[in-house]
Amino acid sequence: MNEVALDSFDVSVARVDKAQVKLDVQELDFYYGKTHSLKGVSIPFSEKKVTALIGPSGCGKSTLLRTLNRMYALYPGQRATGRIMLDGEDILRPGVNLSMLRARIGMVFQKPTPFPMSIFDNVAFGVKLYENLSKAEMADRVEESLRRAALWDEVKDQLNSSGLGLSGGQQQRLCVARGIAVKPEILLLDEPTSALDPISSAKLEETVTQLKADYTIVIVTHNLGQAARVSDFTGFMYLGELVEFGETASMFTRPVTKRASDYITGRFG
Amino acid sequence: MAISAARIASRRVANGAFVAFCYIVTFVALSFLTAILWTLLQKGLGGVNIDVFTMSTPAAGSRGGLLNAIIGSVMLCFYAMVIALTVGILAGTWLAEYAGNSRYGTVVRFLNDVLLSAPSILIGLFVWEVMVANLLHHFSGWAGSVALGLIAIPVIARTTEDVMRLQPTALRESGIALGTPFWSVIRSVLWRSAASGILTGALLAFARISGETAPLLFTALNNQFTSLDMGREMANLPVVMFNYALSAYEDLQRLAWVAALIVSMSVLGITIIARFVSREQKRT
Repeated sequence: MNEVALDSFDVSVARVDKAQVKLDVQELDFYYGKTHSLKGVSIPFSEKKVTALIGPSGCGKSTLLRTLNRMYALYPGQRATGRIMLDGEDILRPGVNLSMLRARIGMVFQKPTPFPMSIFDNVAFGVKLYENLSKAEMADRVEESLRRAALWDEVKDQLNSSGLGLSGGQQQRLCVARGIAVKPEILLLDEPTSALDPISSAKLEETVTQLKADYTIVIVTHNLGQAARVSDFTGFMYLGELVEFGETASMFTRPVTKRASDYITGRFG
Repeated sequence: MAISAARIASRRVANGAFVAFCYIVTFVALSFLTAILWTLLQKGLGGVNIDVFTMSTPAAGSRGGLLNAIIGSVMLCFYAMVIALTVGILAGTWLAEYAGNSRYGTVVRFLNDVLLSAPSILIGLFVWEVMVANLLHHFSGWAGSVALGLIAIPVIARTTEDVMRLQPTALRESGIALGTPFWSVIRSVLWRSAASGILTGALLAFARISGETAPLLFTALNNQFTSLDMGREMANLPVVMFNYALSAYEDLQRLAWVAALIVSMSVLGITIIARFVSREQKRT
């Protein structure tokens, strides 16, 4: 790893092995109407690693996450320019099949959002869109997904009861199970523990760590401890720019830029 | 700053006077309601017997009941609700999910609100002009259902829009994030999540139309006999009530009270169910 732009101490983006990059954001600009909220962001997300996005509120980390599965396309007036290469293909270009894209890139939100249906149906919901599984295959898929989300043991006897009856932490892991049941390649987590109590948060972090073996994970978090615990790489964003990006271990011990160092040491944000 | 005892005392008096006023006004309102219900029970309950539910409306002086009117009302309201639920839920969903703040959406929303408070006699007249006078050339149960449906549509569209808007954005987005097409998110996630709210609106709309008289006078009219043919004139409780209450015969007037009692009790029952349903919704 070579540091670049060391001279200015203003912006520092560490180089990563290009062959390992699953999703490569290049020169991304994002606009909410006239508001320019991401400014020339370039950040690589390495395959089967966890990358954390940190920064003060409004810095654009959630916005960046929402461009990765083109969630923003839901809202007229929001647009992105630049390139986001997924396995060498630009997902921002027009004509991309958004359903297929979102099958490859799953997302879990800040607040748990179980669907108003049974636990089983919650997990099976996405799968039914893409695959025509037999009853037994579907049951296997649901069990596998719930196991990976570390929820199986808690719900295996109540698969037919409503997903809304679970606790907040369980609901969030149900959303993780729902996301991975589709067998995506990438998982986007938008502050997944901010609505959870510490014990549930710890369980979810554990889940994330285990999922890393198979998924490329991007996690937005306000919790610096969490970023340090679960991630391999960290990107620090500020006012719509990527200020510093590098391996988590080095970023949290020896941040290169002053702004990242101030944020990490709690001087602002 | 010194605390002025006089100020506190005068404030206490003002407060007492206001609370007393509230109690009096509430008492006045409730006593009218009680008087209405009491009269209804007193005059209606005496006329309730098995004939009411087994025989058709009689000529003055002979035995009879309200069977044809009850069946007619149920059928008219049923088909009206089929029409209103289809149009109202789709319209409300469109307003909440697709129209946004577009000009077209704003206009439709405004017109819906106007329709919400349109006098029902106007709607009856409209349906009479369109269907009875120019299309069918005779009174018909279908025209009656359409008129009642037109009254129920804005109620359902409005409540549907309101409850759909209450559904969290994150729920919508998590459906989308799985790659689900938007209409499918609406169908299998949002409608389900909003179901009890929509049902409450539907029940209230049903309660509203079940006592409507004016639109039926122009459309379904009335029928002396029990008929299941929606293409012909249809007996119904409100019009029977209207006709018999104005008649000179005591036995017919008594039947009018019974009809009024039946309508009021069903509206009361539906409102209680609607309350129960909406409380269930709050719990989840």
